[in-house]
Amino acid sequence: MGVLYLGSLLLGIGCMLLLDHRFRLFFWRDATAAATVTAVGVVFLLAWDLAGIGLGIFLRGEGTIATGLLIAPELPIEEPVFLLFLVLCTMVLYTGARRVLGRIPARQREKERENA
Amino acid sequence: MTYLVLALLFIVAAVIAGAAFARAALPGKGGLSGERRQHWKAVGIAFVALAVLTAVFDSIMIGMELFHYDAAHILGVKIGLAPIEDFAYPLAGVVALPGLWMWLTRRSSRTAKPNLKGLVPQALLASRPVSWINTAYPFAAAMLLTTREIDWVLIVGTFYFLVPYNLAMYGINDVFDYESDLKNPRKGGMEGALLQPHLHRPMLWLAAITNVPFLVVLAFAGGPAAWISLAVSAFAVVAYSAAGLRFKERPVLDSLTSSTHFVSPAVVGLALAGADVTPGLLILLVAFFLWGMAAHAFGAVQDIEPDRQAGIGSIATVIGARRTVRLAVVLWFVAGLAMLATPWPGPLAAIIAVPYIVNCARYWNITDTTAGRTNAAWRRFIWLNYGSGFLVTLIFILQWSLAS
Repeated sequence: MGVLYLGSLLLGIGCMLLLDHRFRLFFWRDATAAATVTAVGVVFLLAWDLAGIGLGIFLRGEGTIATGLLIAPELPIEEPVFLLFLVLCTMVLYTGARRVLGRIPARQREKERENA
Repeated sequence: MTYLVLALLFIVAAVIAGAAFARAALPGKGGLSGERRQHWKAVGIAFVALAVLTAVFDSIMIGMELFHYDAAHILGVKIGLAPIEDFAYPLAGVVALPGLWMWLTRRSSRTAKPNLKGLVPQALLASRPVSWINTAYPFAAAMLLTTREIDWVLIVGTFYFLVPYNLAMYGINDVFDYESDLKNPRKGGMEGALLQPHLHRPMLWLAAITNVPFLVVLAFAGGPAAWISLAVSAFAVVAYSAAGLRFKERPVLDSLTSSTHFVSPAVVGLALAGADVTPGLLILLVAFFLWGMAAHAFGAVQDIEPDRQAGIGSIATVIGARRTVRLAVVLWFVAGLAMLATPWPGPLAAIIAVPYIVNCARYWNITDTTAGRTNAAWRRFIWLNYGSGFLVTLIFILQWSLAS
C-alpha cells in the first residue's frame, strides 16, 4: 500500500509524457526549453511548500498509501514528484489548448475555400 | 488566513512573471495581439481543466490523509475537501509557466537557431566554481555553529550561497565588464570567462530566476535581521558591477562591497540562526571583513593596466600598485591582530593572516608597470584560501567540542 500514491504519480507522469510524445507538445517540441520550464516550475512550487511548512500551515498526513519517507521535515518524498506531475499536466493542457485553438481558424479557412 | 497571504504572495509573483514573459515573447502594439490573446485563452482553458482536476484529486488526497492543514491558518472555505487556497497552486503554475515556455521557445521560431546554446556552461564557468565555497562556507559555518543542527534552512541557504549567488555575482559582473575583459588575457580560464554579447541578456535573466526564489524562501525563514542582511547581500551583488552603480569603479567602496560579498553570507547565516551579538562575534566579523577588503584590494593590483586602458577605476588604479599592496598587507595584519582579541579558540585564527602577508609582502615595492606580476601571487591566493578554510574548519571543530 505504501507505494500506491508514489506509483499513481509516476503513472500520471508517464501518461503526460505519452500525450506529449504523441502530439509533440512539450519535451518533444523543445527539450531544452521544456526542461527549463519544468525545473523552474518545480523549484517555484517547492519553495512555496517549504514556506508553508515553515509557517506551520502544511502538515503531513499519516495516510497508509504514502511511503512515509521524508526529504525534509513535513515534506514527504512524494511531494516533488507530485509537483513534477502538476507542472507536466499544466504544460500539456496549455500546449494542447494552443494546438486546438490554432486549428479552429485553419479549419474554418479550409471550409471557406471548399465552399468557394 | 496565513495560507491565503502566502498564496497571494506567490500568485502575485507568478502573475508578474507570467505577464512579463508573455509580453516579451509575444509583442503586440496596443491592446492584445492575436497571438497573445490566444495565449491567455489557452491559459484560461488549462486553468479550468486544472481546477476541476484539483477539486477532485485534492479531495481524494486529503480524504486519503496524505496531508492536512492547520485549521487556524486557512479560511475554511472548501470545495469538496479541498481548501479554496489550494487552487492557488495550479493558478500560479498556469499563469507563469506557459509564459516562460513561450518566451523560451520564441527564439527558435523567430531567429534561425536558438542562441541560448552554451548559456548554462558559460554561466557556470563565469561563476568561478573554484571560488563557490568561499561564499557557501561562511554561511554554513555561521549557521551550523549557532544552531548546532542541520535543518532545511541550512541546506537551502548553503546551496543558495554555493551556486545561484555566485551565478548572479559573477554573471552580472561579466556582463557589465565585457568591455574591459576583452582587453584582459587573464579572463577565459580559472578566473572567469569572456561572455559573448548575445548571452548578456539571458545571463541577467538566469541570475534573476535562480536567485529571487531563494531570497524569498530565506526571507520567509527569518525575521527582520535576516531580511536586512539578505537585502544588503543582494544589493552588494548587483551594485558591485551593474551599470549606473558600478561600485567596483569607486575606490574604497569597491573593496568594501567586495568584502560584503563574502561576509554578508555569514551575517545572513547568523541572522537566520538567531545568534546572540557578542563582542567576540563582532570582532570576528570585522576581522573577516578586513580580510575580504585586503583580498579585493590586492586582486585589483594585477588589473591596473587593463583597467586603466579601459578607463575603469579601482582602489588600485587610484592609489597606485605600491600603496595598494601595502594597504592589503596592513589590513591582513590588523585582521590577524583582531582575532587575538576574540575568545578562545579564536586567537588561533590569527596565524591564518601570516601566509597572506608573506604571499603579498614580496610585492611591497612593486610599481604600476610591474603590477601585472602580482597575478602569480593571486593564483597562489586562490589556493591559499583552501588552506585557510581548512585551518578555520579545524578551529571551528575545536570550538564545537569545547562548547559541548
